[in-house]
Amino acid sequence: MKPKVGFYELTGCAGEMLHILNMEDILIDVFSKIDLVEFRIASSVKRPERVDIAFVEGSVTTEENLEALKSIREKSDVLVAIGDCAVWGGIQASTTGEDWKTLMKEVYGVEENYFRFLGEHKSLSECVKVDYELPGCPIEQDEFVRLFIELLEGIEPKIKDYPVCVECKIKEIPCLIVEKREPCLGPISVGGCKARCPYYGTPCIGCRGPVREEANVAGEVSTLVEKGWRKEDIVKRMELFAKRYKDIEKLVEVKK
Amino acid sequence: MREILVEHLARVEGHGNIRVVVDKENVREVKMEILEGPRFIEKILVGRSIDEAPDIVARICSICPDPHSVACVNAIEKAIGFRPSEQTRVLRELQLISDVISSHALHLFLLALPDFLGYPDAISMVSKYGKEVALGLKVKKAGNVIKEVLTGRSVHGCTVKPGGYTRVPTQEELEKLEKSLAEAMDGARLAVDLFASFDLPEVFREENMFMAVDPGEVYGFSGEHILISNGERRPVENYRLLTNERVVPHSTAKHSYYQGESFMVGALARILLNRGKLKGEAVELADRIWEKLDPKNPLANNLAQALELVYSVERAIELIEWLLDHGIGEPRGEMKIKAGVGVAAVEAPRGILYHFYEVDGEGKIARADIVTPTAQNAANIEKYLRISAQRLLERGVDNLEPHLEMLVRAYDPCISCSAHLVRVVRLNE
Repeated sequence: MKPKVGFYELTGCAGEMLHILNMEDILIDVFSKIDLVEFRIASSVKRPERVDIAFVEGSVTTEENLEALKSIREKSDVLVAIGDCAVWGGIQASTTGEDWKTLMKEVYGVEENYFRFLGEHKSLSECVKVDYELPGCPIEQDEFVRLFIELLEGIEPKIKDYPVCVECKIKEIPCLIVEKREPCLGPISVGGCKARCPYYGTPCIGCRGPVREEANVAGEVSTLVEKGWRKEDIVKRMELFAKRYKDIEKLVEVKK
Repeated sequence: MREILVEHLARVEGHGNIRVVVDKENVREVKMEILEGPRFIEKILVGRSIDEAPDIVARICSICPDPHSVACVNAIEKAIGFRPSEQTRVLRELQLISDVISSHALHLFLLALPDFLGYPDAISMVSKYGKEVALGLKVKKAGNVIKEVLTGRSVHGCTVKPGGYTRVPTQEELEKLEKSLAEAMDGARLAVDLFASFDLPEVFREENMFMAVDPGEVYGFSGEHILISNGERRPVENYRLLTNERVVPHSTAKHSYYQGESFMVGALARILLNRGKLKGEAVELADRIWEKLDPKNPLANNLAQALELVYSVERAIELIEWLLDHGIGEPRGEMKIKAGVGVAAVEAPRGILYHFYEVDGEGKIARADIVTPTAQNAANIEKYLRISAQRLLERGVDNLEPHLEMLVRAYDPCISCSAHLVRVVRLNE
């Protein structure tokens, strides 16, 4: 029997779902391996039953998101958070700590909480037990396929936790911080993207989130400050994708 | 009184519902509800450097990150008084076209076609319509490969910056693109044949107003003026007037109106307003299918998308040849930062997209305002939902849901995009 798989979206841009649909060459093969229970962006199928694997993208931003996530968790054997919004809250989580009522008034012109906004944008693991996390904004297609096969085959997936710099070195790309004084976040951001941005001539913006174990945030800040960047600008840059990484503030504080 | 709720609006981007309240035989209330959570993108931009802006706005939407990033850099360059090179302008037009190709192919073959053929999705169609799905995926891929080469990936590319690109494609890459585009032509033609063969339900017919960017002499996806089907032509700087928001009775949703009327943006609007600017095979095709492009029926948008698909594939090849002939120059120009404001309009696959920025003297964003096509279409979608729901009821159709869902889908809405300014609807009951 084919495994039952559901694809679910919370708050975000649907980028992981689209990136899956963008694997044109293998799309039909991938979907022929599963019994699709839900994939709203591409299918009218919606079955409320138990699933073997649930892939969930987006941040937990509204009460509706939270209710949906809890119900997905209850009916799923394995729950995988895919994409930066699900793993870290996404760029919207960079507003964490700001007065959201003021933001609501300024952006939407309303004072009432029509969105049933929770007041912050949470990652999935802050709300329910998450079995695996696949970072990226968007996720890497090859990483998704690998994880997908591992889950179908019952192989324990290994999630990467080394910085983008490792892949930059393998590709022999000259260091953007050293050579060009660019505010590259490669040293603190988790790899797996094959250093795409540096390869394309632009500094890493940290879209895969921070390296969990030993992100040397303080080191990164002091290096860039030495190169002439303002500390507050660097911190703001880091926080775009990593505001909910609890250590960022702490690590930056040490150097103040 | 009964309430019909199409929850889980499928095969569109983002979360939405359709709510219809029926009183005996009359439609009392129709709403397209936007259920996306608030993301405050315009506030996230404030205080960040202009280099970060295109990467941030791309993340508003995965289906149209390219129109967002191109509109962003066009507006920022206007604000600081920088004029990009001809090469950059050609690359940006190619980038906009790549998004049209992949988005239209996705919408036509994977999202809309299942409606017309009676399937829940394209995957289920494979056993009977394998050829159609395969050709559609080939066209979609041709668009995505351009994005990968130009911007680094098909979703949220990373090379688009004020001043130009951080990397430009090599000759070999461009030649490869030409090849994949040539192979996509059959699928694009098939889309026209398929969607020209469907009869559109009469219940959706009603007078309509259209708006599209005036691309200049050649059919395209950016420009400095907006064309309106009432004969007016206005500079993009008038975008606030053109998208005049108004509070709708019985709801807190604000919708776009122009001179008191809702209007439609997107492929049908572009084709109707800019037909004379088409070139190549699309000209003959347009002649052949013109009667099918019914301005009164929003479902004709699908056929207009198919026609644009043929045009876009051909036009992309032409732009690539221009690049190959002229040789690839510097990726990015030198900019001098000065404070200012700028507005730009581009055509996203689903219609006009406006970006406005105020840039300060340090090259940081002081203010941002983004008006998306789905937000502009929202009032028009509701107008057609109301009219067609009433007519369906009068004809004794009880199961309104599939019809209304099909209507909404024809607009190819991007709900994540529109969420930043649409207020969630509450019914007064």
